[in-house]
Amino acid sequence: MSSIELKKVVKRYGAVDVVHGIDLEIAEGEFVVLLGPSGCGKTTTLRMIAGLEDVSDGELSIGNQVVNAVAPKDRGVAMVFQNYALYPHMTVRQNMEFALRPLRLARSETDRRINETAVLLGLDELLARRPSQLSGGQRQRVAMARALVRTPDVFLFDEPLSNLDAKLRTQVRLEIGKLHKRLGTTIVYVTHDQVEAMTLADKIVIMQDGHIEQTGSPQEVYTRPRNRFVATFIGSPAMNIVPATISDGKLVGDHVSVEIPERFKKRVQAGQKVEFGIRPTEISLLDGAEQATATARVEVTEYLGDEALLDLRIGSQELIAEVPANQCPAEDAEVRLRFNPEALHIFDAETGMSLENQAR
Amino acid sequence: MAYIRKRNRKIFLIFMMPAVLVLFGTTIYPMLYAGYLSFRSYDLAKLFVPRVYVGWANYREILSSSEFLHTLIVTFKLMAMTLSVQLVLGVGIALLVTQRLPGMGVARTLLLIPMMISPVIVGLVWLFLYFPELGYLNYFLSFLGLGPYAWITSTDWALWAIAIADIWQWTPFVMMGTAAALTNLSPEPFEAAKLDGNSPFDVFWRVTLPQIRPVLISLMFLRAIDAFKIYDIIFVLTKGGPGDTTEVLSMFIYRQSFTFWRMGVGAAASFVSLVIIVVLITLFFKSLNRDPHQA
Repeated sequence: MSSIELKKVVKRYGAVDVVHGIDLEIAEGEFVVLLGPSGCGKTTTLRMIAGLEDVSDGELSIGNQVVNAVAPKDRGVAMVFQNYALYPHMTVRQNMEFALRPLRLARSETDRRINETAVLLGLDELLARRPSQLSGGQRQRVAMARALVRTPDVFLFDEPLSNLDAKLRTQVRLEIGKLHKRLGTTIVYVTHDQVEAMTLADKIVIMQDGHIEQTGSPQEVYTRPRNRFVATFIGSPAMNIVPATISDGKLVGDHVSVEIPERFKKRVQAGQKVEFGIRPTEISLLDGAEQATATARVEVTEYLGDEALLDLRIGSQELIAEVPANQCPAEDAEVRLRFNPEALHIFDAETGMSLENQAR
Repeated sequence: MAYIRKRNRKIFLIFMMPAVLVLFGTTIYPMLYAGYLSFRSYDLAKLFVPRVYVGWANYREILSSSEFLHTLIVTFKLMAMTLSVQLVLGVGIALLVTQRLPGMGVARTLLLIPMMISPVIVGLVWLFLYFPELGYLNYFLSFLGLGPYAWITSTDWALWAIAIADIWQWTPFVMMGTAAALTNLSPEPFEAAKLDGNSPFDVFWRVTLPQIRPVLISLMFLRAIDAFKIYDIIFVLTKGGPGDTTEVLSMFIYRQSFTFWRMGVGAAASFVSLVIIVVLITLFFKSLNRDPHQA
């Protein structure tokens, strides 16, 4: 096990910076997920940790040793690649054996490790097969086994589930989670899938355009997004964002008016341009005489079983609400809405930063 | 041909006719005629003597002659010399030009030039290079304190002289095929090996080579078939000499037919050569059909 530390790490291709001096601390045994849209620099960051890409600037340490100039093989890292990177002409056993070759272990030790790892990942029946004779999920497990058999200090995963179908993805995701609990190895895991990130991570690192937008536990990034990007990136369907102005202690937008929650009252000034965010689950339909936040027209309804998604139009604004399926109104109906004030997020209209965090 | 409607069939046949006729006239008829001749005694120098049917006599004569056996040995010897060097050199250069280094794209293109030159020209170029007194090869070797060698007139060097010219011309072919195969390999297994710390030799021997093996087999068979028919370069450089040192099968056929005018024997030798090539091609397709991952 090893801790990892990135200090002002930059990756530059020619004149173009793709990673802009990021700082990141990963504790021993921590499961850290790098999350972001494609092109955000998450895979480049992972490959720098692996040593497959040079660090252009800054300092990268693994286990308190600066490894900028250390060869990949001497970093104590093992990687699971997106397309598994198995040797197609070798059997499962030979794939694992080849990973162990540089360690020059005794025959008996090599066999012991291979057999133990194979049992751990349920591959003991498949050792004589070639990758072409395995299913996608099995290949994924072989890729993990090949990384695991070397007993690395750090495990790197590069979008390991993106080539699997939805059902298998859930299954292998669980297996990876269990594996981490059992081995306690430090894991850095790259994905663009927020469900993977939320379910697996001790700590999520959300990246965009080569910058880290927020680092925190899954609860933190979901409930206290630092800015609009994080707020809309985490959560599905995405958080609704409504432009508004502060007026008379209220957030006033196009055909919408919401009471400013207590915790924000001291952080806004009258006339300030802001954007407020509300998650689709925090919008409810009113049927009584209570004070409504807004009135909306239902444009499309999407039935999901337990819930229904409503595409709503309020003036020029489109919103999505998630309501219990039995409350689902008809399309084109007029509905009265209530936004849960406790669940409101307010962002600066210009910087996109959350006002909640800014004042601290 | 089910998609050709009946009324179009006539037009179809008319358009196909020229190609079929040319093919028949230049390939099929000569082959059948050679087959016919191989069973006859036919001396081109005695035009008005009837071509008598002699049964298998021509074949018996060839297969029992030590001269023919010798040309077969020379042919296979030359094949072994050229193919082995072309394989090692071609793969080596391919590994080099597929590296991401500056100038490799240009190098790759320049290296293809020998392949585009007609073998007769290649023969002439090397003839000048090999020339004992005036040739550049001996001139440059003299700086190393070597030579002068009688490249094409010494029994020790003549076969090598031909092999070198053939290697020069055809190594790019092996290089090109191998480079294409290398470029097609996915990079991740190599990155995995880099992380695991496998040595470059291990990676080449156990990861690269097994994966490009099917391509290498194909390239070698194509080269083998060509090498078996080698003629032009030898005709220009040595004409089979000195003595019969470089007398390959094609030279034997040529000599029988157009030096000694023994067309029947020449035709029979052509057929023996054809049989050997067919055997080679069959082996080739068998090896192609085998699952490369099952070997």
